[in-house]
Amino acid sequence: MSAGNSIVVIGGGASGVILAAQLLRSSDPSLRVTLIEKQSEFGQGFAYSTNLPVHLLNVSALGMSALDDDREHFWRWLKGRNLLPDEPGPFYAPRSLYGEYLRELLDEIAAQEPVRLRLVNAEAVTLTPASAGVEVGLANGVSIIARKAVLAAGHDRGPAAGQDHARRIELEPPGDPSSTVMILGTGLSMADAWLTLQHRGHQGNVIALSRRGRMPMPHRPSKPITLDSAEIPLGTELSYFMRWFRGLVDASKEAGGDWRDVIDGLRPFNQKIWQNWPEGAKRRFLEHTKAWWDIHRHRMPPTVHQQVSAAVATGQLTLVAGRLLKVSGEDGSHVVDVQRRHSRCIEKFRVARIYDCTGIVRDVSKGSIRIVRSLIDQGFARPDPLRIGLNVTTNCAVIDANGQTSDRLYAVGPLTRGTFFEIDAVPDIRTQCAWLARQIAA
Amino acid sequence: MLTRKGKYGLKALVYLAYLQPGQFNLVGDIAAKNNIPKKFLDAILGELRNAGFVQSRKGKVGGYRLARPAREIMVGHVVRVLDGPLAPIACASRTRYERCEDCDETTCQVRHLMFEVRQAVADVLDNRSLAEMRDIVGDDELAAIIKYQN
Repeated sequence: MSAGNSIVVIGGGASGVILAAQLLRSSDPSLRVTLIEKQSEFGQGFAYSTNLPVHLLNVSALGMSALDDDREHFWRWLKGRNLLPDEPGPFYAPRSLYGEYLRELLDEIAAQEPVRLRLVNAEAVTLTPASAGVEVGLANGVSIIARKAVLAAGHDRGPAAGQDHARRIELEPPGDPSSTVMILGTGLSMADAWLTLQHRGHQGNVIALSRRGRMPMPHRPSKPITLDSAEIPLGTELSYFMRWFRGLVDASKEAGGDWRDVIDGLRPFNQKIWQNWPEGAKRRFLEHTKAWWDIHRHRMPPTVHQQVSAAVATGQLTLVAGRLLKVSGEDGSHVVDVQRRHSRCIEKFRVARIYDCTGIVRDVSKGSIRIVRSLIDQGFARPDPLRIGLNVTTNCAVIDANGQTSDRLYAVGPLTRGTFFEIDAVPDIRTQCAWLARQIAA
Repeated sequence: MLTRKGKYGLKALVYLAYLQPGQFNLVGDIAAKNNIPKKFLDAILGELRNAGFVQSRKGKVGGYRLARPAREIMVGHVVRVLDGPLAPIACASRTRYERCEDCDETTCQVRHLMFEVRQAVADVLDNRSLAEMRDIVGDDELAAIIKYQN
């Protein structure tokens, strides 16, 4: 495979499948794309591997096309299978359907491209530069040579550092349905975990803990304001930007609008705003503002919000604002010491299980994705200054330990969070993949 | 269009970009060397400090300095802070929009052209740093400025 343009994509979840689809739009007959996925199923990834019908997409069907230049692709797929509801309005499809959609998309491409696309079911564990390309070592001992490689490793499924008692709910068999359990985090994953517990018939109390104890806002129809980057303060300190932002929200409300109109109107510029901030502003944002931003920006389908709010109202679900101090074990249960927000006293919770829903942003060098750790250990990649992803250029090229930009190793999706910030959701990932595909498979 | 405030602010920042990194400079000196009224400059530098482009220190050895290296501060970002949106006419601004009494904005050709002008302005100003702006003048002029400073 030395001739022509061979590209290996590591990770066959949402971002890997979307990228492969975009790469194969190239008309180059010598192009070879190898997609490597460690799970048995392609297209599922982290977000779409759930099979519970209550787990819904947090973006409406019209926003979820895998193809950047065909925005209604997913919507048509649903329509073609009579899966769209009769009533008009935004439709938040079950996430398992999205996994199926991606798998079908990949199957379709695989059937059309028997020569140019190769699917490999194995875990990629090492990646080393080779003459005029890269060599990817698989866990089964085989290695793959290609001109270029793209890391599409997605979200880390491992437990968060320092949360040894916490488990991912989807990996745990159901426990005693009458027991009290704790969920770490109050964001979108918390809502998913709560829905999983409901589905399993859990009757006991559920305590959800986060620093602020606030859960995401619901979606409502919004009319995004039209903005232009010429009007957005760029490169300022965070406080200055936030003052401008609040002023815009107030003005929008005064004109009869809603804060959602501003958040949604700003979305096309989020990456630009992030990239132009000085590092101090980025750091402060992650530390102080992100929790607040996330509950407004990453909203829940209204039906999910209603269900979760109802559980809070009846007391079955309690949202606690505070910090987890320590966890100790006693007779098969956990005692969790929590310091309530704005309080010095320590409260003890006795719970049977602790579920990790602390979110997806964490130190990449301490993560559980083997190939990413291997790249960092060997100096072929390094964490970004904020350590929330890999250090990559705005062209998605990986930067090594010496600050050299690679001409053959790229990354897409959540791994590029340090540079692109909002790169967890399909609408952003597909745009990034389409752009990168044009650069490397022209 | 660039106001006097925007022009003075940029001149002061470019002047600070000539200095040794980290060195503070008195407002009086910056004002005198650049022909800017001191009171006005006080207000301008205050705004630039709030936006995070300069830092200040009180006292005898106090004054102002750049908060970040000059190559990291974009001219367009400074202009937005001092003069507001980069919009050549008020009806082309979406956040500080003012409706014209005398024309239909959907068909107003002037307005459509001005959107293009604004884009072009942003393309220039957002891609030039203070360091590049400082280096526009040649070595001879630079020598003159440094001499002028001492």
